[in-house]
Amino acid sequence: MNEHFMSLLWLRVAVLLYGIAALAVLPAALYERPRWRHIAVPATIAALLFHFVSLAEMLNAAHHSLPVDTHETQALLGLLLACAFVIVYWRYRTVSLGIFVLPICFLLCLIPAFRPGQESMPFPQFHTGWIFLHVALLLAAYAALLLSLLASVLYLIQERNLKSKHTRPSAEWLPPLETTDQIALKSLLFGLPCMTAGLFIGSLIAQQTIGPSYFLDPKVLLSFAMWLAYVGMIYIRRHSGLRGRRAIYLSAFVFFVVLAVWSANQFSAVHRFTTP
Amino acid sequence: MSQTFNLVLLGINHNTAPIEVRERLAIPAGRLADATRTLIHQPGIREGLILSTCNRVELLTVQENADPNSNAELLRFLHEYFSLAPATLTPHLYEYREGEAVRHLFRVASSLDSMVVGEPQILGQVKESYSVAREVGAVASSLDALIQRAFTVAKKVRSETQIGSSSVSIASVAVDLARKIFNTLDGKTVLLVGAGKMSELAARHLMQHGASNILVANRTAERAEKMAAQFNGQVVPFDALYDQAARADIVITSTGAPQKLFGRSHGQHFLHSRRNRPMFFIDIAVPRDVDPRMNEVEGCFVYDIDDLQQVAVANLADRSREAAAAETIVTREVEKYQQRVQSLDAASAIRGLQEHAENLRQAELRRSASKLAGLTAEQQAAVEALTRSLTNKFLHPPMTALREAARDGDAQALAELEALYLGQPRSRNGSKS
Repeated sequence: MNEHFMSLLWLRVAVLLYGIAALAVLPAALYERPRWRHIAVPATIAALLFHFVSLAEMLNAAHHSLPVDTHETQALLGLLLACAFVIVYWRYRTVSLGIFVLPICFLLCLIPAFRPGQESMPFPQFHTGWIFLHVALLLAAYAALLLSLLASVLYLIQERNLKSKHTRPSAEWLPPLETTDQIALKSLLFGLPCMTAGLFIGSLIAQQTIGPSYFLDPKVLLSFAMWLAYVGMIYIRRHSGLRGRRAIYLSAFVFFVVLAVWSANQFSAVHRFTTP
Repeated sequence: MSQTFNLVLLGINHNTAPIEVRERLAIPAGRLADATRTLIHQPGIREGLILSTCNRVELLTVQENADPNSNAELLRFLHEYFSLAPATLTPHLYEYREGEAVRHLFRVASSLDSMVVGEPQILGQVKESYSVAREVGAVASSLDALIQRAFTVAKKVRSETQIGSSSVSIASVAVDLARKIFNTLDGKTVLLVGAGKMSELAARHLMQHGASNILVANRTAERAEKMAAQFNGQVVPFDALYDQAARADIVITSTGAPQKLFGRSHGQHFLHSRRNRPMFFIDIAVPRDVDPRMNEVEGCFVYDIDDLQQVAVANLADRSREAAAAETIVTREVEKYQQRVQSLDAASAIRGLQEHAENLRQAELRRSASKLAGLTAEQQAAVEALTRSLTNKFLHPPMTALREAARDGDAQALAELEALYLGQPRSRNGSKS
């Protein structure tokens, strides 16, 4: 009980810091105010630390050891997105993506921090690090895809801005095309091994615990379709150097497949391991 | 505007004097120290600094006793040092004193008084003048504090407004646009189509910002080779232009060809060869070399001379908007600076008042020493404490009034209070006038 309380407390601190970072990133990116950038980035890093501590506390909690319910997986996705923002800042020195990423992190963690899930994991055989790795790797792939989609949208806006030839001060915050293109492609390239390994680990665990019937579940089949779509998208982008509008359509299509897979968790007959 | 410390600024700039006059007053960097030394040796000049750029020559001085109706010393210096007749110079001169001089200096350092508002060079030029003035011993505490404050204000204006963030020349607009596409120009390839002066200038600017590979295509091979040699680049035979153009990230065209060299289909072909990596076409030729419809091809960005000019003009308008915000900062900083100077003045007046009261107290105690001789040590200490306490209580209202007058920048009230309590007003530097 105490661990659970502490986990929530740290998560609430993290949410507060995500909120501060989400607000500070607006003047930092839109008006290029270094002072605000010096608030947004450290606040995100501090939020990440508190969020990580919260996650560690949660994993050590006595009643369950996994982020099993929707709220907890949401919070973990928020953590991974915040990590992605910090990595992008460190590598490309741009905070522009934070305008979208940080509010998403804040919202993803808000409900888990104040209305924690009540579901727990009743199967002791799943209390292993492998199942956590399965969940974390797939969430990392989702986070990478979301980041790639956001970067592609920024690419398109900047491209339109440059094509219009009326470069407005209101568009100064947009990162250069090459930067957003790199972020979009590298995120996808990072997401692919995560998704592959996540699905592979999940399949091995399912094979050992449930047997072949697991692979007949539509949700599980949809997951493999998602992997194929993901691979196809990367192949097309790399092979033809797809950028701009068509790249967004492709990313958006795969993103909706991912959303479908996520939603299917709620209806799947066998891919539910929690008890309310 | 209230007084500070006999600050006088005399000068000419691009708004008040034509180039013919400015060039006669311009001081080369090598002679600035000598000129500053000569200025400081003029009678009545306590501290001095000369700012000499292509757009302005200004003398900033702190004087012993500045006569508000005369700038004879500075005029004499200008006439003698530059051997100019007063009639040539006087109509173009402007003069600022005290608070107005402080404001002008802050505006100059913040690039609000520049020909191109927001240009960054002026701050470096002020720093250079300050450094020379310090070296020759022409700057002491008053001017030193003022100039340091001007640097801080300029920095504040840069960081709190976007006055210098946008480019206003064609070449720098082209570099800015290229950066919006490629992020960095490091390692980028530039193709010059036509070996004209304008394309040379643009290429030079791009190279200064990191572009490293230059390809030159020109109908006259000799000129192409000459320009390629200048940039340590490579010549592309004009016949092979369409095969080689896809190698370039940035294409600058400036030929005199009557027809378009590059059409929409060329753009599609180049992009296909480059696997959709973007290309930036800078078309500075008139008539144009690049079909504007190429801009419709995804990944091709075509800017002609009018487009670049339009961006430059828009950026200039943005700077003007930012300048209004910068003026507010300068006004606030001038007030703050003056309040600080006035507070210092109040401090010296308060010190004078305390000394005066203490002298009176001591004199009265000495006068009554014989009458107090019979008192015990304890009683004498009580008398000492009583007189000290009375003095402090009497001093409290005038000291408060002095502080308030200084804080409000009310020089007249300050002078009247000093005259009332000290018998005569003190000069700004703290000594009795």
